[in-house]
Amino acid sequence: MIRFEKVTKNYPGPGTPALDRVTVDIDKGEFVYFVGQSGSGKSTALRLVLRELRPTSGRVYVAGKEINRMAGWKVPRLRRQVGTVFQDFRLLPNKTVTENVAFALQVIGKSRREINKVVPETLEVVGLKGMGSRMPDELSGGEQQRVAIARAFVNRPMIIIADEPTGNLDPQTSVGIMNLLEDINQRGTTVLMATHDHGIVDQFRKRVVELENGKVIRDEAAGSYGFQHDDTP
Amino acid sequence: MQLRYVFTELRSGLRRNLSMHVAVIITIFVSLTLAGCGMLLQRQADATAETLGNELQILVNLCVVDDPSDSPNCGGGAVTNQQRKEVERALKASPEVESYEFQSQDEGYAEAQEIPEYEPYFKGTDPILTVEDWPPQYWITLKDPKKAQGVISSVTGLDGVAGVKDQRKQLKPVFGIIDALKYGSWIGALLLLLASVMQVATTIRLAAMARRREIGIMRLVGASTLYIALPFLLESLVTAVIGVGLAAGALAAFIKFAVQDGLEGAIQFVPWIGWDDYIETLTGTLPPGIVFLGPALTLIPTLLLTRKYIKV
Repeated sequence: MIRFEKVTKNYPGPGTPALDRVTVDIDKGEFVYFVGQSGSGKSTALRLVLRELRPTSGRVYVAGKEINRMAGWKVPRLRRQVGTVFQDFRLLPNKTVTENVAFALQVIGKSRREINKVVPETLEVVGLKGMGSRMPDELSGGEQQRVAIARAFVNRPMIIIADEPTGNLDPQTSVGIMNLLEDINQRGTTVLMATHDHGIVDQFRKRVVELENGKVIRDEAAGSYGFQHDDTP
Repeated sequence: MQLRYVFTELRSGLRRNLSMHVAVIITIFVSLTLAGCGMLLQRQADATAETLGNELQILVNLCVVDDPSDSPNCGGGAVTNQQRKEVERALKASPEVESYEFQSQDEGYAEAQEIPEYEPYFKGTDPILTVEDWPPQYWITLKDPKKAQGVISSVTGLDGVAGVKDQRKQLKPVFGIIDALKYGSWIGALLLLLASVMQVATTIRLAAMARRREIGIMRLVGASTLYIALPFLLESLVTAVIGVGLAAGALAAFIKFAVQDGLEGAIQFVPWIGWDDYIETLTGTLPPGIVFLGPALTLIPTLLLTRKYIKV
């Protein structure tokens, strides 16, 4: 589903590369944590999958296509297959829950009938049934993140990218969000999650790819956060 | 594509940046009006030169006995037949000459006597002007009223030529005024057009900043660049259309009230511009009419800036 092939990413200016000859294969339906210290290259890896960035060298494949060579006009089509969730939720404060989720479909040209059908279904999947008319500032952090996940999932993407989705949440709420992401993963969606959250990684055992200074130092199925690299955010 | 969203965004974008849009509209309106005035004045100058230039001729005065011009070409007294033939040869050889006509002393003198203002010169038994004083003349009609320098210089130095009179010189002050107004309009229009391009750029930057969160989400969920840019492009188009409409109205008022109701009655020997020229100023292709100029002024900077700010 996703393949990093000897990917190096340098940002302008001096310093070590954000990613240094990283090779990782992720199969369809996998749930993978990217862990590591701040600046280890986790977010860069996720942004490469979204084609927000291009590698300095190496290749990134998504669904069999080499996306760093993809023409600019094809990028929106790629992103419709990749849902994204962020630590800071990024909801539109002047839109209701329903409108926030519907927005993702409106702007890619889905019909009103389809939107009216899919959005309530998705809100039910994420546990927000009956809360569609609420405004974001009327919701708790966990609920806001659920709305963000609903927006990422509403188009039924092949991949969900989650960058520190539990970073702003308390442990109990984080567990709820993880249950939700796990549920979405079990429906066949590949999930890539960058995180600092020890507890979550240790509690929800999945494949762990650990990065340090842009290099993969561990790629372990059903791994823990890693007692030898006990990094605090 | 869901146009409902695009139009909702268009409405809210226009409302959100209302004062900036009003400023852009006013600048576009004034600059297009000035540009239109420049185009109309250009057409006025062309029409005036065309019509009056065809009527006004170049006049070659030949020497008479004791020629009052003191021209060195008249040293031998009155023009001889040989000298006249030389002048005719020069006129025939000139590519600028459409036709020429010789007027003898008798013909010219008789014609001048019919002009009431000249009556005192011909009065009495010993008039101030006699037929011997009246110069034989060549009346030259030009192919292009603007081009006469060649023929003037080719005959000016010939023996037997007392002088060359260019009737077109009488129009110089008129053309001078028209040219000054025309260039003034163009310079003013150019400066204001530059100002409107910069205002459009600022408006787009502000609008993109105000909507950066929405634009960010749109990019992430896979909205196309065109879909993201469309509300910006439509905002620019709306301001351009209003600006063009106001400028078209102002130019129509100029034609109606200044030209038709004012100048046409006051100065009748000049062929004045009319509605055909107005339509051409609005929709012409070279120079581009204001109907094309207005949208181009707003859409081109919008396209360039949206590529920069909302690049997918």
